[in-house]
Amino acid sequence: MTLLWLYLLALLDGLLCGGRVSMGRCALIRKRGYYARALVRGLLGAQVISTLALVALLLVDRFSPHQTDLVLDLEDAAERMLWVFLPYAVAVVASLALRMIPSTDLRSATSVLGLGPFTAIRPFVMVAGVLYGIWRSQLVETRVLGLFILGLMLSLEYFLNRGAAARQRKEIREVV
Amino acid sequence: MFASWNPAQPEITDLIVQHDPYTLARVRVRKQDVLEVFGKFGNRKAIRAVEGLPERDGWLDEKEIDRLLVRTHWEMQRLGEEFYHGPRVYELLRAVIAAIRKGGFEGELKVVDVGCGIGYDIRWLAARTELAKKGVELTGFDLNSALIHEANRLSAAEQLPCRFLHGDAFSLDHSGHIFLSTGVIHHFRGQGLREFLERHERPETQAFLHFDFQPWFLAPYGSWFFHFLRMRTALARHDGVLSAARAHSAGTLAEAARCAAPGFASGIYGAKIWNTPAPRVFHTLLGIRRPLIEALGKALGRRAWRLGELR
Repeated sequence: MTLLWLYLLALLDGLLCGGRVSMGRCALIRKRGYYARALVRGLLGAQVISTLALVALLLVDRFSPHQTDLVLDLEDAAERMLWVFLPYAVAVVASLALRMIPSTDLRSATSVLGLGPFTAIRPFVMVAGVLYGIWRSQLVETRVLGLFILGLMLSLEYFLNRGAAARQRKEIREVV
Repeated sequence: MFASWNPAQPEITDLIVQHDPYTLARVRVRKQDVLEVFGKFGNRKAIRAVEGLPERDGWLDEKEIDRLLVRTHWEMQRLGEEFYHGPRVYELLRAVIAAIRKGGFEGELKVVDVGCGIGYDIRWLAARTELAKKGVELTGFDLNSALIHEANRLSAAEQLPCRFLHGDAFSLDHSGHIFLSTGVIHHFRGQGLREFLERHERPETQAFLHFDFQPWFLAPYGSWFFHFLRMRTALARHDGVLSAARAHSAGTLAEAARCAAPGFASGIYGAKIWNTPAPRVFHTLLGIRRPLIEALGKALGRRAWRLGELR
């Protein structure tokens, strides 16, 4: 169950990363289709890193001498990670939900006080969550896996951003 | 104060694109000249940004500069979207239009965006409101032909009822009943600000709405934070923050308008959030013909409290 929560949070993070890297790169007024494609790209990116994480987990499990202890240790670490990731996700989703209220000032305030700062602290939350998760783990395999997953999570936005930048560069070369 | 926040200096975009004031033809810009301007202010951030600009034999590469400007304006539009700038413009504009109509004007009403860039305000109004169907002509002007080309391309892609023209919005070849702008007015300083406002004194012009950053002590910090997070080019990050530092105070804007365009009653609209002391990011210099003031108040309805003193 804990791993399922982490997986869902990874998908949500990918979705939002996909949206974020696409913003400011299309100047049309009506662009639901553009954003929908960007969100799908983010979701697929998150799916790729989740799959890589799962493969790594299975490999470690296959070759670890502590197979029984490893599962318990991983579950403990994942549960601790949730204590950091879940409140962060709730705060981000709450900020987005507030933007449903039709007030320009309130919506702007969610950017200034919510989404902007939350974007700024995202990498730190990632690092804090994983470190808190693996800090008290008993096995070196859990720690290595945690750090590997942290690397994947941090690289997601970087790669999505590179793709979006390349598409933007191509489009601008066509129009100017 | 950081050197890059010194309001006495121009923005990078003020210098890297130059036009002949009469023919509007593009004038080549020597990179070293731009660097020397920022060197005088000790603005290393601007110097680094300018050093990174593409050049050919010491002259800025016009095509690459245009590409950079288009990219920057796409990003600026994102900030406009995030802060719901379109609805903010429409909120005041529709009240001004209602007041003008109430005053007896029945013909086609010309709304002109001065220094429209890629025309976000005008395209948003064309796409999201019924103004065009209600006899309002939406036009944007800019001196930069690449930005106007992009505005027209975007408008055509969505088949929007608006147009964009390369040139001077106040030239005698064009007329405007309402002039508006966003983030433009702080580029005019001192006597230049008065001259800009004087140009609104045309018989057909009924009102002007100039949206710009509202200066207060946290504005440059907030602007720095947001431009760091949201903008991707060194140029946009530098100029965005400097814009907030250079923004005119409400008093400066209102006094300049009252002196330079005495045919209008001028004041500030939308300075505070929900009638609290908290300032909005943008405020608006509003000028309107005096006989329309009462109708404007009624058209604003429950938002009339946002209107400052008009005189």
